[in-house]
Amino acid sequence: MTAPRHVACVMDGNGRWARQRCLPRTAGHRAAEAAVIDVIEAARASGVRWLSLYAFSTENWRRPSDEIDFLMGLIRRTLRKHALSMCARGIRCRFLGVSDPRIPPGLAQDIADLVELTRDNRGMTLTVAFDHGGRRDIVEAARNLIRDGVAADQVTEESFAEHLPHPDTPDVDLVIRTSGEQRISNFMLWQVAYAEWVFPEVLWPDFRAEHFHECLGAYRNRERRFGDVRSPNPMVKGNR
Amino acid sequence: MSAETIVEQPDISILCPDALLNGYCQDARWGLAVVRATVLEAAHPQIGAALIENSTFVAHPWRRIFNTLLSVQRVLDADPRVRDKEGARLNRMHARIAGVDPKGRPYNAMDPDARAWVVGSLFESTVNLNRMSGVSMSADDMVRLYEEFRAFLVLLEGNADHLPATVEEFWPYFDDVIERGLENTEAMRIILFELFGRMPAPPLLRGHPALWAAGRGMAGPVITEFLKATLPESVRQRAGLADVPGAHTLTRGVYMGTGVAARVLPQSWTRTDTVIGLLDPSLANGGSGPSLLSSLRRQQRRAAALVRLLSPMSGDGASSSASGSAARSAERFFAEVLDQTGDGYVSWPDIAAMAREVASRLDLDADGEERLFDAFAGWWRELASTLDGDGDGRVSRAEYAAAASSAASPALVRVAEVLFEATDADGDQTISAVEHRALFRTAFSRDVETSGQDARYSRSEFVREFLAFMSGRQSSAGYDSLLAQA
Repeated sequence: MTAPRHVACVMDGNGRWARQRCLPRTAGHRAAEAAVIDVIEAARASGVRWLSLYAFSTENWRRPSDEIDFLMGLIRRTLRKHALSMCARGIRCRFLGVSDPRIPPGLAQDIADLVELTRDNRGMTLTVAFDHGGRRDIVEAARNLIRDGVAADQVTEESFAEHLPHPDTPDVDLVIRTSGEQRISNFMLWQVAYAEWVFPEVLWPDFRAEHFHECLGAYRNRERRFGDVRSPNPMVKGNR
Repeated sequence: MSAETIVEQPDISILCPDALLNGYCQDARWGLAVVRATVLEAAHPQIGAALIENSTFVAHPWRRIFNTLLSVQRVLDADPRVRDKEGARLNRMHARIAGVDPKGRPYNAMDPDARAWVVGSLFESTVNLNRMSGVSMSADDMVRLYEEFRAFLVLLEGNADHLPATVEEFWPYFDDVIERGLENTEAMRIILFELFGRMPAPPLLRGHPALWAAGRGMAGPVITEFLKATLPESVRQRAGLADVPGAHTLTRGVYMGTGVAARVLPQSWTRTDTVIGLLDPSLANGGSGPSLLSSLRRQQRRAAALVRLLSPMSGDGASSSASGSAARSAERFFAEVLDQTGDGYVSWPDIAAMAREVASRLDLDADGEERLFDAFAGWWRELASTLDGDGDGRVSRAEYAAAASSAASPALVRVAEVLFEATDADGDQTISAVEHRALFRTAFSRDVETSGQDARYSRSEFVREFLAFMSGRQSSAGYDSLLAQA
């Protein structure tokens, strides 16, 4: 059974996980690290070539500054802790967004270093959406089109997509949003156009490899039903 | 030095990739000859004064060394137009350098005797390099090389009358200048006694100041002794240089050692551009260079990234020079960007040095260069009128810091626009990746790079980024490599 090519996770429920345990929200974020590492390994092992994680949205800047400071520090520590193992496992790390001046310079440097370190890896591409907004990416693509002087009648879905950040990223096949929330939240809007969505009830800090495999199973079942009705080869979809 | 009889002028077409000189400037050891020649040049009163007053050699020694090599490479280009353009550019650059030294004597970089001495001392240093490394040049090669250097002078001056016609006559001329024409100039003293003691790190080691300081602490005195020992006896006497026991042996050792290294190591490792590429990754010619170089560079970048990721978390201030969004203090901006000559003040030579660096990188023609210098001059007039409180014709660090907030002045916007037009070589009103690389020697910054292969900078973005950098609000890899790094 083939795995979906591109899986994206909206890592939701850290705050609720902490609240249920009468812990500060920050404890939920800290507990999320284990889930991230587990999912990366599970995705790699099951043959997923592209994994995207929604770490921090442009809207998240509205959170209390203590929490933001904590998150920035946590992300930086996590990134440094796992940089070597990412590289050793042949995972190419990329970041989507990362343009806000509020990002601490030290973190920006570490992000650049991790990208540089893993640039030539070909195992799996991990895209971390950090300071990401789907609409902003689309606006950015429109700006790039205008800058390039593309004539109006030459703007097609393909040419537009080529002007998005990381244009080689294929469309998302499966989005997993944990904690039962059913929203898009401005996440990779262009790329999720044809994606299947699953909404497991489990909160992100509790999300583990077995949950990930369940989601892949759910995706395959839907694909199979879909394929029975329409085409014999349902896996090939509108990938650029 | 003028010849009474009409002597045959060398043909400048011998300045081509087949030239003997080309072999030398491909060899990293030739850098030693360039540095040695610079000491001899600096001891010439006219050149010494010009170096002190105008050159960025003290504050940005790496840039000067790299630019010298780039200039020689352009002159030896297979396309004679590239050669002629570089000759014209050097002339325009020299024509802007003139003034009066502290003793009240006028100096002028267009002075034919001084320029002949620059060419002559470089020739002598090249011959010296060969002799000291144990392989003397054959008489034929020496004659040929001398012709090439004379051709270089013809390219600059239109004739080679200020250098003797033959090698045989050159040596008495050289001894004569050494004996009577040179002085113990300030420029020479700075190069000999200070430069290697406080030389800023090459871009490769900029992230590791401690490593560089340690290496420099050991290597600085060695290089200085080495330089001193290679100088002609009378120059050393005049500079009051003591004979350090073993210095001569050291010198031979360095030359021989590099000679042996050149023989044992793969040839591409000792090529000048490999060494330069390692010292300053941004200078290595992108794409066209040998694959070894680019792979070494990639590995070196990756190793640096790994070292940073594995080293203890630094505070956010420590890595500010490398990160995109860090603001610099007005003090640092003054020292790293504005004060190009490193004398603690900003005056016209500092601003002109920026214009010179831009003009050299973009290989501008006379018109473009004129517009660029005009714009920079306008900015300087504005700086002087608004910031020079005590009216001494220069802006001190304190004067700058007191008024640093004045950001986007009209004259600075004008500089940005002229810079945009100069960079936009094909005039399509956007800066392509190629044009960007020509000016900044780096690829686009991260966020532009990610938006596709043929991403472009618009005029407004370019102006905005320039103003953000120039007001010290933001450091940028591109402008750092252009103006701040040595």
